[in-house]
Amino acid sequence: MDEELKKYRTLEILIFGIFAIIIVFSFKLQIFEGKKYHRLSDENRIKKKYISAPRGNIYDRKGRIIANTRPAFYVSVIPALAQQSSIESIARLLEIDLNTIQRKIKLEKNPYASVKISRDIPFEQISLIEESLEDLPGIEVGIEPVRNYPFQELFCHILGYVSEITELELKHMKDYKIGDYTGRIGLEQQYETILKGTDGIDFIEVDVKGRELGKVSEYRAIPPTPGKDLYTTLDLELTDSTAQFLKNFPRAAVIAFNPQNGEVYVIFSKPGFDPNRFVHGLTESEWQLLNNPDDAPLYNRTTMSCYPIGSTIKPFIALAGLDTGFIEPNKRFEPCKGGLQFGNRYFGCWKIHGSLALMDAIIHSCDVYFYQLGRYLGIDIITKMLDDVGFGKQTGIDLPQEKIGILPERKWMEKKYGKGWTEGHILNLSIGQGDILATPLQLARAYSLFANLDNTIVTPHLNKNLKTQNYVIDIKKEALDIIRKSLTGVVEKGTGMMALIPGLLVSGKTGTAENPHGDDHSIFVGYAPSENPEILVCIIVENAGHGGSIAAPIAGKIIKTFWAINKAKQYEKY
Amino acid sequence: MKNIDRSILFISLIISLMGLIMIYSTGGLNYFLRQAFWLIGAVIICLIITKFSSRFWMTISLPLYIITCLLTLIVLFYATGYPRRWFNIGFINLQPSEFAKIGTIMLLASYLAEKKKLEKFSDFLIPLLIIAIPSGLIFIEPDFGAAQIFFPIMCFMLYWAGMPLEKIIIFFSPLIAAITSFSIYLWLGFMIIFGIFVYTRKKLTEIVYHLIANPLVGLITPIIWHSLKTYQQKRIIAFLSPWIDPKGISWQAIQSKIAIGSGQLWGKGFLSGTQKKLEFLPERHTDFIFSCIGEELGFIGILISIFLYIFLFYRILSIARETKNKFLSLVAIGILSWFWYQTFINMGMTIGILPITGVPLPFISYGGSSLLACFIGIGIILSIAKVRHYEY
Repeated sequence: MDEELKKYRTLEILIFGIFAIIIVFSFKLQIFEGKKYHRLSDENRIKKKYISAPRGNIYDRKGRIIANTRPAFYVSVIPALAQQSSIESIARLLEIDLNTIQRKIKLEKNPYASVKISRDIPFEQISLIEESLEDLPGIEVGIEPVRNYPFQELFCHILGYVSEITELELKHMKDYKIGDYTGRIGLEQQYETILKGTDGIDFIEVDVKGRELGKVSEYRAIPPTPGKDLYTTLDLELTDSTAQFLKNFPRAAVIAFNPQNGEVYVIFSKPGFDPNRFVHGLTESEWQLLNNPDDAPLYNRTTMSCYPIGSTIKPFIALAGLDTGFIEPNKRFEPCKGGLQFGNRYFGCWKIHGSLALMDAIIHSCDVYFYQLGRYLGIDIITKMLDDVGFGKQTGIDLPQEKIGILPERKWMEKKYGKGWTEGHILNLSIGQGDILATPLQLARAYSLFANLDNTIVTPHLNKNLKTQNYVIDIKKEALDIIRKSLTGVVEKGTGMMALIPGLLVSGKTGTAENPHGDDHSIFVGYAPSENPEILVCIIVENAGHGGSIAAPIAGKIIKTFWAINKAKQYEKY
Repeated sequence: MKNIDRSILFISLIISLMGLIMIYSTGGLNYFLRQAFWLIGAVIICLIITKFSSRFWMTISLPLYIITCLLTLIVLFYATGYPRRWFNIGFINLQPSEFAKIGTIMLLASYLAEKKKLEKFSDFLIPLLIIAIPSGLIFIEPDFGAAQIFFPIMCFMLYWAGMPLEKIIIFFSPLIAAITSFSIYLWLGFMIIFGIFVYTRKKLTEIVYHLIANPLVGLITPIIWHSLKTYQQKRIIAFLSPWIDPKGISWQAIQSKIAIGSGQLWGKGFLSGTQKKLEFLPERHTDFIFSCIGEELGFIGILISIFLYIFLFYRILSIARETKNKFLSLVAIGILSWFWYQTFINMGMTIGILPITGVPLPFISYGGSSLLACFIGIGIILSIAKVRHYEY
C-alpha cells in the first residue's frame, strides 16, 4: 500500500474510532441506564419533606379525651447549609449540649434533610430564636403536632408516653425515620401501630445549595394519614377519685374493672410521672430520677410489680378443698390459739380465733385454720387451683411488659430448695406468704371467678373494641357459692367491714402481706353488688399496714363513687 | 468568498451556532450576546485569513511561535486574577494559551517539513523542545488542560511527517510505564506485552531503551508519589484539576453523568435540564456544556453534534491528504489533531470515561479566545485548501 494512504487510513481509523467509543458510552448512559440516571437527577433536585401525622386521640369510656395532640415549635438544622457558628449559637439559645446536636446531625445521611434538634420549645424561647433567625443560615423553626396528656400524671402508666426513637431501634424498625416518636409502655406502646398514623410527604424542588424552589408538579404530595383514635373502657371520673383517695399514700396500685365483660374502669399506680415531659426530651438527671429503683415511678405496679398476696389467697385454698371434696363446709381443725407449733417453728396467727368452721375461717381470716387446711390438702391440690385461676402466667391484658409473678409448684420448689423443701413452705403458701408472688392484675382477675355466677375467669381489657376474653373452669357450683357467701361475710361482719357501703352488698377479702423490705402491704379485693357484680376492685397500698384498715375503706370509697357516677338512679332506690 | 471550501466554513458555523444556543440555555442572554459578538468577530478574522498566501504562513511560522510563547510568558506576570490565564485588553479578556497552539503548530510544521528522514530517537528532541516551552509556561499558569494539548499535536505531526508509529509508541512508552506503575500487575502486564512487541522488532537500541527507561520510570514514579505528604498529593491533584471543589473529586463527574444519562433518548427539552437549571452541573457553559447537550437534547442531540464534528474532521483530513505541499499538509494535520483531541478529551470527561481536566469543547464552549483561535485555525485550513493542488 502507498505509504501516504496508509498514514491517512491509520488516522482515519483513530479519529473516527474514538468517536465510535464516545457514541457507545453515551448510548450506554442514556439508553441502557437512562432510567437510573433520570431517577438520580430527580433525587438530586427533589427533596422529600415529611409532614408529621398527628397521633390518634385516646378517649375514656364516655368519649372524653385523655390523650390528644397539640401544636409545638421545633428547631431543625439543615447540615449542608448550617455553619458551625450557627449551630453553636443555636445550641446556646436552646440551652442544649452541642454534642447532642452533632450526634443527631450525624445520623442523617442526606446533608440537605432538615434534622430536628429540639422540640416542644416554649413560646418565649422560640420568639428569641426567630429574632436571630436571619443570622443563622441552615436553621429552621417549624410547628408540628405532638402528644398531649391533659390529665398529666393521672393516666401516666396506663397510657404510657411517647419519645423519640433511638439510634438502636432505628436499625430494625424499618417504617421509622430519625426523630419519629414512638409509644413507650402502656397503651401508647400496645397500640402504636394504630395510633401512629403515616407521615405525609411534600416533594420540593431544591437547587444544588438546597434552596427550596417550590413544590414539584410531577409528583403529587402525599397528605399525612392521622393515627386512628383509640376508645378505651377507662373511666376518667373514677380514676380521678381513686387518685384522690390515695393521695396520702406514696406507693399503691389499683385496678377496677367490670367482672362480667372485662372492661377496665381504673388502672392506677403510684408514684407516677408527667408523660408530657417526654415530648421535649428528658435531661439526664430527670431520667435518673424516673429510674430510681425504690419508687420506680415508670413502673405500672398493677401489671409489673409482684407482691405476696397474703390472706387474699385463702378463698382459693378453701375452694380447692371444697371442690376436690377433701373437706366439707363444716370442717373444723385444731382450734386457733393464736398460732401453730409446727416442728421447731411457730406459725403465728394475728388473733386468737378458737375453733372455726370454713366460712368463719375466711370471714375472720384465721391463719391457723388455713395452715392446717393447706397441710391437709398438700401442695399439688393448692397449686393446681391457683394455676387454674391464672397465677404464674400472663393474664393477656392489652398492656405491654406484663409480669407473671411466681407460682411455687412442686417442681419449682424442688428446683429452688432441692429435696430440702418442707411442709413449712405449704403452711406459708396457705396464707399467701413465702414464695408466691402475683401482680395486682392477676389477683383481680382470679377474683372474677367469684364475681361471676357462671364459673368464668374474665380477663380485663382496655380497648373498647376488644371482645371479652374469658375461660370457664370446671368447679362445683356449691363450692363456689360457699366461698361467695364467705366473701360477703367478710365485709358484713369480718375483716373487711370498713369496705361496707350502706344499701349496697359488697363482698371481698382483705390481705396483709408481710414483706422483708418494710411495713406490711395493705390489700383488699372486692366486688359489688354481690348479687350481680358490676365492679371488681383490687387495691394494694404499699407499706400501709393492715388490709382491713387501709385498703378496704379505700376500696369501699371507690365502689361507692362508681355507684354514684354510673348508677345514681338505682342508688337512690336502695 | 471565491475558491473557499464552503463545507468547512459552513459546518464550523453550524457547530458554533449550536454552541451559541446551548450557551443561551446554560448561561443566559448575557453570555449568549457576548459569545455572539465573539463569533461575528471570529468569522470576519477567519475570512480575512483565507486571503493570506501559503508562503506567508511559512515565513511567519517562527516569529508567530516566538510571539505567542512570549505572550504566555507575559501572562504569568500581568494576568487578571488566578489562575494566570487571561490578559485584560480593554473590554475583552484574551487567553494566550489558545494562540500558542497555532504558533507551535506552525513552527513544528516548518521544522518537520525540512526533515528528509525521521527515524532516530534524536529526531524527537527538537519537536519536544518546541512544545516544551509553551506547554511548560501554560502548566505554570496553571492550566493543565491546555498544557496537555501540545503533546498529542506533536505526535500526530511526527507521524504525518514520516516517523513510524511504532517508533513514536516506543519512545513515549515510559509515559505508559509511569501511569501503570500505580498497580504492580498493570505495570508487569505492560512490561511483558510491550517487551514482546519490542523484542520482535529486533532492534538493540529499542530493547535496551525499553529495559532501562520503563523499569526506571515505573519504579521512581510511585516512590516520588508516596514520599509526598497527603496534602501535597492533594495539592497536585488539585493543581492538575483546579476546580475540583470541596464536595469531592467525583462530584462533578457524577453530576455530569447524571445530567447526560437522565437526558435519555430525546432529552428533557431545550432550557429544561434540571441538572443544569438547578446548578448541579458545574461549569455549565464552558467545560461541561456537552453534558447540557446530553441532558436537554438527549442521545439524538449528542449524535447530531458528534456527526457534525466527524464531518468537519473528515473534511480537514481530506484536505491534509490532498495538499501537495508538505508544510501546509502538516499544518492541517496539526490543526486537525488540536480540534480532535480537545473534542475527544472534553466529551470523554463529561461521559465519565476520562479524568476531569479543564478542556473546552471546540466551537461550542463559552470563551472568546477559544472560539477565535478555532476560527483562525479554520481560516488557515481554508487558505490551505485553496492551494492544496499546487506543489510550490
